[in-house]
Amino acid sequence: MEAALDTELVFSLQAGSLEALGVLYDRHRGLVFRTALAITGDAEAAADLLHDVFLRLFRFAAHIDPHRPLEPWLYRMTTNLSYTWVKRRQRWLRPLEDIADWLVSGRKDTPAYQAEMDDSWRQVQQAVSSLPLSHRGVVVLYYVDDLSLQEISEILDIPVGTVKSRLHYGRQALKQSLGLLAGEILHDLQYEFT
Amino acid sequence: MDKKSDVLLRKLLKNWANRQRPPENERARLIWEAAHVSHSNFELNLPVFRPQYKAYPSASINDWPQTLFSWINENSLQIRFQTRLG
Repeated sequence: MEAALDTELVFSLQAGSLEALGVLYDRHRGLVFRTALAITGDAEAAADLLHDVFLRLFRFAAHIDPHRPLEPWLYRMTTNLSYTWVKRRQRWLRPLEDIADWLVSGRKDTPAYQAEMDDSWRQVQQAVSSLPLSHRGVVVLYYVDDLSLQEISEILDIPVGTVKSRLHYGRQALKQSLGLLAGEILHDLQYEFT
Repeated sequence: MDKKSDVLLRKLLKNWANRQRPPENERARLIWEAAHVSHSNFELNLPVFRPQYKAYPSASINDWPQTLFSWINENSLQIRFQTRLG
């Protein structure tokens, strides 16, 4: 079953095969986790969303067309659930986090804290998180997942023109936020994992 | 944004997103939960084979007056509802 095509696995999934679910999970979990992590900026949330997406894949397998590629479905489900997570967090947790930030503000200056937070990546995280949610989704799908404008348009169910404009504004905002990084740490960061 | 800085931005964001890997030990939990979801879906998908009346405990089978009374009570109530809705 490891070598089976997604189409065959979705057919098996529709018949209730847990083995097919396991193979699809192994095959696509990187895609789901990476996208969820980039949108939410929270590894724990990304792990929960990864679980949720594949559980939904199993539950709603009967509604999936096995003849169409599975990846767009996974991207759509992941972005939708990630958006919901971010909106809930903004509504309920942001005020509490602000208080927590204020409480530990004195500790932020210590070298240990700086090292712990891995400041360079933290700035990238903050730059992405500061984008409006709709722009963030487009930026993540375009830059992190390498999807085309047309694919993003279909996944998010928005016109290509809207994808272009959100990408443009998201890109500009990121450029502005990361502008300081460009000459200092950008080069270190870009070669770390390539 | 020029092409060079666009490539740079792509690399930066990719590296940032790939810093953390998906959890390794979640597969078993997913399969376990899916097995239970599967079970509940199976039940939901079989309404046709479910009797449309209430099953009474076997202990009360001999208690036929009580069973008859319950049956009349529930069904008359249902008929009344249906009449109102209709």
